Amino acid sequence: MLSRKKVEDAARDCLVKAGTTFRPDQLRAYRNAVKAEKNESAKWVLERILENAVIAGKNTLPLCDDTGTPHVFLDIGMNVGLPRDWLSAIYNGVIQGLRIMPGRPMGVKGNPIERVEQSRGLFSDPGKVLPAPVIVKPMKGDKLKITVLLLGGGPELRAKTYRVFHQRSIDVVLGEAAHWASSEAKNLGCTPCVPAIGIGRTHVEASALMLEAMKEGNLNRQNRWEKKVTELINATKVGPLGLGGGITALGTFVKIGPQRASGFRVVSMRPGCCFEPRRASVVLV
Amino acid sequence: MITLQTPIDHREIKRVRVGDQIEIDGTIYCGRDAVLPKLVRLIESQDLDRIGVDLEGAVIFHTAVSIAGIGPTSSNKVEIEGSIPALSRAGVKIHLGKGALGPKTVEELKKYHSVFAVTPPVSALFSDKMVSQRVAAFREEGMEALYQVEVKGFPAIIAIADGETIFESHRRS
Repeated sequence: MLSRKKVEDAARDCLVKAGTTFRPDQLRAYRNAVKAEKNESAKWVLERILENAVIAGKNTLPLCDDTGTPHVFLDIGMNVGLPRDWLSAIYNGVIQGLRIMPGRPMGVKGNPIERVEQSRGLFSDPGKVLPAPVIVKPMKGDKLKITVLLLGGGPELRAKTYRVFHQRSIDVVLGEAAHWASSEAKNLGCTPCVPAIGIGRTHVEASALMLEAMKEGNLNRQNRWEKKVTELINATKVGPLGLGGGITALGTFVKIGPQRASGFRVVSMRPGCCFEPRRASVVLV
Repeated sequence: MITLQTPIDHREIKRVRVGDQIEIDGTIYCGRDAVLPKLVRLIESQDLDRIGVDLEGAVIFHTAVSIAGIGPTSSNKVEIEGSIPALSRAGVKIHLGKGALGPKTVEELKKYHSVFAVTPPVSALFSDKMVSQRVAAFREEGMEALYQVEVKGFPAIIAIADGETIFESHRRS
């Protein structure tokens, strides 16, 4: 049986690690990009992003001041023993992580209308940035895998979930998603991006699959379809920070879920920013 | 690399070209969606002096200021891009943020001899460049208040100047 403290501490540590460090696949992708990039302005941007990652990791500082909205993904082993209040332990861990990192205090005060209109100001406590609904999936075994992702606001401005008439062709579906990402790349600002794409039956499912793509994707392991989307986006020559150059996207993550008999698929595309996916995982036994 | 000291003289800003790498020394203002429209309203009612803000030769960085640091938000959001003409007219020489701006804004920047510079959202790196910070106005907006931040060697690239925009020129090339 896992203890409440173990679960809470793991969620806390995941959040801090997600917001302050680059993973090895990100570091490698950026080093390769610096070598490959010919445009001097673009190279300057890529070098600053790497320098930033070194300082953030060394001093445990946020990679970006938009520390994002926490999203938690749980893979729960069917035989794992969880404490009775495991979900509140996860939430408490997230709150503690936001206070330690520290997260940006951007939780909005007030009733629903006041929150939409942002008319009563902001909480000063970073722990008031509530996590999005937790996604849970079962897995075999007796382990609990906690993944915390931090989703920044820039890519949310540019993300899209919509139907695509597939014409029985994956090229058509991913081509449309690549077109969305390419159209938004110049306005995103914080390129190079890492688009995450979910393909499902409903808008909720496609969005969840998009998040799962962010959770599982690896810039060092790209399948042919992911490479193709990346190539299409890089053909725009938008480049890092929109300054031109060959690296508009570092890679692409695609997750395809169950489908239904129909002429359309629901596609969710989120053009993750230059630090994303900011994620960290831990497996508890 | 061009070093610019605030307040920036209009002759200095005329020297810079699209693609120039710059470093900014001195005091800059930080504000974004919440306060920039408020600043514009004060400019239009000629009440800017009331809050003790002088925009002549100023740099406005499109960012919140919080315990998580500073970093550019998207400058093409309605409240931010919409504020650029009035702020330029009031004397702002560098608008600092990220993301492409529209052709109308490019023209307005040229008209008022102001430029747009971009910088990546490298908040950990920026923490090394910040000397001090204080709220200048609109404290009620929290992290979205108008801040005065003293910086040393703050890095950026000129993206729009004198009617030219890097966001189009690289596509032409």
